[in-house]
Amino acid sequence: MASAMSTKILGPLRLSKQLISASFCRSKSDLTAATGHTFTEYEKQRDKKDVSIIVNEKMDISAISGVPEEHIKTRTVRIFVPARNTMQSGTYNTRRWRMEFDSRERWENPLMGWISTGDPLSNLEVNFNSKEDAISFCEKNGWDWFVEEEKKPKMVKKSYGANFAWNKRTRVSTK
Amino acid sequence: MASIIKVIGNVRRIISHNNGIIGSFLKMFRHDDLKWGTLVGEDKYGNKYYENNYYFFGKNRWVSYPQSSGFDFDASEIPPEWHRWMHYMTDDPPTKVPLPQRKWMADHTMNLTGTSREYVPYSTTRPKIQSWVPPKSSD
Amino acid sequence: MLRLWPLRQVAKVQNVLGGLTQIATKSTQPAPAPELVEVFIDDKQVFVEPGTTVLQACAVAGVEIPRFCYHDRLSIAGNCRMCLVEVERSPKPVASCAMPVMKGMKVKTDSPMTRKAREGVMEFLLMNHPLDCPICDQGGECDLQDQSMAFGSDRSRFTDNAFTGKRAVEDKNIGPLIKTIMTRCIQCTRCIRFASEIAGVDDLGTSGRGTDMQVGTYVEKMFKSELSGNVIDLCPVGALTSKPYAFTARPWEIRKVESIDVMDAVGSNIVVGMRTNEVMRVLPRVNEDINEEWISDKTRFAYDGLKRQRLTTPFINVDGQLVPTDWETAFVKVAEKVKKVDPKLIAGVAGSTADAEAMVCLKDMINRLGGELLCTEDSFPLNRSGIDFRSNYIFNTTIGGIEQADVVLLIGTNPRLEAPLINARIRKTWIHSEVCVGVLGAPVDLSYEYQYLGDSFIVLKDLAAGTHPMCKALASANKPMIILGTDCLQGTENGVIYNAVKDIAERLRKNLKHKDWKIFNLLQKNASQVGALDLGYQPGVSGLKALQAELIFLLGADAGTVSKDKINPSSSVIYIGHHGDYGAQIADVVLPAAAYTEKDAIYVNTEGRVQLARQAVNPPGMARHDWKIIRALSEILGVALPYDKLADVRARLGEISPTFDQPGQVNESGFEAQAYQLQTEIKDPIVNVNTAISPTMLKLKDFYMTDPISRASLTMAKCIQACKESEKNPYSKQEAKA
Repeated sequence: MASAMSTKILGPLRLSKQLISASFCRSKSDLTAATGHTFTEYEKQRDKKDVSIIVNEKMDISAISGVPEEHIKTRTVRIFVPARNTMQSGTYNTRRWRMEFDSRERWENPLMGWISTGDPLSNLEVNFNSKEDAISFCEKNGWDWFVEEEKKPKMVKKSYGANFAWNKRTRVSTK
Repeated sequence: MASIIKVIGNVRRIISHNNGIIGSFLKMFRHDDLKWGTLVGEDKYGNKYYENNYYFFGKNRWVSYPQSSGFDFDASEIPPEWHRWMHYMTDDPPTKVPLPQRKWMADHTMNLTGTSREYVPYSTTRPKIQSWVPPKSSD
Repeated sequence: MLRLWPLRQVAKVQNVLGGLTQIATKSTQPAPAPELVEVFIDDKQVFVEPGTTVLQACAVAGVEIPRFCYHDRLSIAGNCRMCLVEVERSPKPVASCAMPVMKGMKVKTDSPMTRKAREGVMEFLLMNHPLDCPICDQGGECDLQDQSMAFGSDRSRFTDNAFTGKRAVEDKNIGPLIKTIMTRCIQCTRCIRFASEIAGVDDLGTSGRGTDMQVGTYVEKMFKSELSGNVIDLCPVGALTSKPYAFTARPWEIRKVESIDVMDAVGSNIVVGMRTNEVMRVLPRVNEDINEEWISDKTRFAYDGLKRQRLTTPFINVDGQLVPTDWETAFVKVAEKVKKVDPKLIAGVAGSTADAEAMVCLKDMINRLGGELLCTEDSFPLNRSGIDFRSNYIFNTTIGGIEQADVVLLIGTNPRLEAPLINARIRKTWIHSEVCVGVLGAPVDLSYEYQYLGDSFIVLKDLAAGTHPMCKALASANKPMIILGTDCLQGTENGVIYNAVKDIAERLRKNLKHKDWKIFNLLQKNASQVGALDLGYQPGVSGLKALQAELIFLLGADAGTVSKDKINPSSSVIYIGHHGDYGAQIADVVLPAAAYTEKDAIYVNTEGRVQLARQAVNPPGMARHDWKIIRALSEILGVALPYDKLADVRARLGEISPTFDQPGQVNESGFEAQAYQLQTEIKDPIVNVNTAISPTMLKLKDFYMTDPISRASLTMAKCIQACKESEKNPYSKQEAKA
């Protein structure tokens, strides 16, 4: 949770670094002379330092996120791993966690028979690396959430020889 | 002094143009405007078209809707031939240069939006759900 | 756990010591468990069990090998050659799907040799594959399309010098569900392996060799299986596609809604494909515990029933004729009827597809009005411990648990048609762990061999008494299973049958080595039944007659168990449901509700697993969500229910049974001994049941129409028609209907 709550403030630091390098563009060689290291090495060392700040407080940005109140208090988020499309063998889609809102305010548009929605969150698609990230994101935004656990396929030991087993039912009948 | 006489003259002409003081009052009440001018023509719907180049361009041509329109008149009551003149597409009113009449030209109708006769679009998509119709009872 | 404290301390010390010795030997790698094999996939070290294939080892390393013929749940064929990879010190690329891992094997999945091998295979495959992707239903979710983009070459070296054109194969007609365009076939044989391994019908096979090789049924006939639709998913190209779905939608237009199926009590996980407020198709969703990645044909193809015979407005009965009306009038009418009757004589019946939210609302409303009788359509013996113990009416072993069983006894059930995926599990166990199956009931085709014990009650009595030869096998079994169907519990003597089965289970349980193994299983047929019983509904509608109920609320009760001649003729019926079926026809007021794809709802499957169905489309017309209808009605009747949101209703469900708070899980239900004790405390007279113990669904044609949705489905009607035709003349040329 703590890592999820941490806020990186690398941005301003980088900016100051750029400013420094801009104003001291002539002094790179001086620095080398003074410290015995090259400037780039100095940069590397400084960037190695962990500059992330850990905020342990529970964050609630729902007041400033701009999401209307009715879409904060009444919505429930389902956090899940998308199911693999059984029509395909690829699994790329199933590697990340996703959030989805309850379905509401959809109607058939009389013009073409397509579907219209009055729900600004219905097409929101956010992917997360872990469900903890998704949960903290939902809590930050003030949404109710529930997690649908990932359904991992089991790996079964298989062998080509089983097709030709003489005393097992795995022997293939048709080819 | 001369300008005062001009103003009085204008007022007199406006009043006489609009059928006296009561007429002017009613006109003001209905059109929010009082002008005098020469009657250029009248179309078959009863709209009267006036022109007075004393007024500035843009104000010098105007229409007076028929009493039948009441207070609910609409600019779309002006038929296309007069619309040309009203919008300065031409200086020749249809009374002077009538538009050629073609047999495919439909009669002018005003914009009916907001009235009881307005066009309401209907869904042209096939119904996706077939509803159940309860069986007719035999008894 | 606390008592294990000293042991854990010892283990900790051992761990520390182990760590020390490792440091001493300067080993940087954590010592692998001795039985694991170390392989390197693209220089990444992974440890896998011996006997796994290279392809599986790559999957462990996170590398996906392209494949056409290989499928996780089918046997290895090794004929597409797409999974070729380079293995160090091997002169030729190896087919990773069939190659077992060896110690220290170094696999290169992205080397020039591997890439060249894949390009070559793609080139051969595309030589004869038509370029009709724009009009192919698989377009957009085609493995061949994807893999030719990812691994194929940008040109082909084949030139058609003789202008013979590509290979063309005649299309086969294999029934009303599967459309075949056999020219597109790349002979991966997945469909053949599915048919013979999973479905258990050796209908499909190949004929000819080389360019002349064809996949088909040899002689034209229907692919008669309750799981046939799965070959559409399996087909990596567009050779087998869905007939009802043909040319209706493209995969990228479809919004995928992960939901739960209610056509049977298995609760298969499905993905409902929605476009333009319409269910376009239903696909399975992988859940190892329930349906793996298969679904039955009824689940997959009955969705067109959701668009026909729907209730879209409320109806009220005026002089014997139902006339459409608005919600207010209908509610007022219901209120008038409620005012007129004695509150004690108000009853409710939940149908096969009722969701838990609606059922709890109906129960709370009727209880608040003063009525006590709420029942389900499926009967169940109540004479003893009845539904007091959850273990009495659920599938205790769990569906995944079937795979551990070594003896299965099926009593009065035809799982192949009642719960095709449970039957597929039994078949899987039968193939892979040689399970012994005994059947007491009708001698139906279960797609695996079994020992037929007859269908008379005497056999059951023998089994209970321990005198039947099958008892030996059961007693010697490590993990025996008894699956009791609900069809044989519908009669008046159901208690006797049920007790006899319980006797068998109890005898086995006493001598069981694995104390936490569950023996007794009840295979429900209705998706709502377990949830209803959890909520305190009474099984069976016999109570209606006994009570002489004056006002009956039907919550989608369409099985025909409630009909005018079975209830008090003067009673009024209020129907809340989604289809104009038996229930709506006898109703005085019809309130249109939502079907399972149209609501967020909870269903409990036969294992007692609570699952959430998600709303895919809107309820049609004036139809509303079931629980909202009842909530609104309760306000008009002056007994307003204290919940306004779905979350409140679910909280109420959790109050009644904590299982509702744990979706996706099976909560083990214990107290079998106590349940049995209660069972035996009352000795009932020895009754001989004269009727045969038999399931009602015997042939495949009985499978397709079992609930209001599938009864309204045209596709299901076509299936029945095709089944009847093929029964009459199995090899006749049917008219190909698209």
